[in-house]
Amino acid sequence: MSGEAADHIPAHGEPGRVIDLSIPSRMEILSVVDGLVQAIAHQLDLDEETTIEIATSVIEAGTNAIQHGHYQDEAKRVRFRFILGETELEVWVQDQGPGFDLQSVLNTDPTRPEDLMKARGRGIFIMRAMMDGVEFDIRPGVCTLVHLTKHLRRGNGGASAP
Amino acid sequence: MGGPDAENVRDLVPTLLRQGHRKILIDLEDVSWVNSTGLGVLIASHQAAIREGAQLKMMRASRRIDSIFGVTRLNTVFQLFDDEEAALRAFDERPGER
Repeated sequence: MSGEAADHIPAHGEPGRVIDLSIPSRMEILSVVDGLVQAIAHQLDLDEETTIEIATSVIEAGTNAIQHGHYQDEAKRVRFRFILGETELEVWVQDQGPGFDLQSVLNTDPTRPEDLMKARGRGIFIMRAMMDGVEFDIRPGVCTLVHLTKHLRRGNGGASAP
Repeated sequence: MGGPDAENVRDLVPTLLRQGHRKILIDLEDVSWVNSTGLGVLIASHQAAIREGAQLKMMRASRRIDSIFGVTRLNTVFQLFDDEEAALRAFDERPGER
C-alpha cells in the first residue's frame, strides 16, 4: 500500500515555477531535500544568508513531519512544494500526522535560560526566527500543512551554504 | 546531522565517557546541516560530559551551523573553536586526564 497521501496543499502556482518532491519518512533523506534547496537557491541566485535560512527552515519542517507527524514510519510520505516567485519563495510541507497544539508551541521560547538545555522544542522556533512567514494548517485526521515564505535576497553569485 | 549520524554521536559520547576519556572534541567540518534533533543530541552529549566531569568541545562549524547555534543561543552553551589547535589549547591541562 502506498503511503502517498492526497495532495492537500492549496497553492499550485504557475506550472513552470513549481517543484514538487515527495520523500519517505526517513531523517537521512532530508539530505536530498537539502540538496534540492541548495539547487533552487543557486537557480535564484540567492545570497548565502538567505540560502542558509531557507535550507535550515525546510529541514526543520521536514524533521517535524517525519518525527512528530509520522513517527518515522517510512511508509508514510512527506510532500514538499516549492513555488519560485519573483520576489518570494514559498515552501509547503505536508504530512499525514495527527497535528499538535500550536498555541502551546508558540508560547515556548527555547532560548530562555531555564529552557536552553532542553533537548526538544526548537523546530518551530527556528523556522519562525529564520523565515518571513510561518503558518500552520492543522487538519486532525487529514494532514498538517506548514507554509513557509521568504523574501528573496540575491547577491553573491548564488553562493551555496556548505 | 539529525538521522543515523546523530544517533552515532548519541551513542559514541557516553561510550567515550565510560572508557574514561575526559576531553572530547567533535569536529563538525564535514557536517553539512544540523536539525533540532541533532541539536538535542549535542545538548545531551554536553550534559553527559558535564555530569562526568569531562570537557566536550566542538570545532570547525560551518556558517550554516554557526547560524543555527546562534538563533537557538546554544553558542552560549557549547564551547566552539575555529580550529583544532585552538580547541586543544582550551582544554584544561589536568594531570591524569586523557
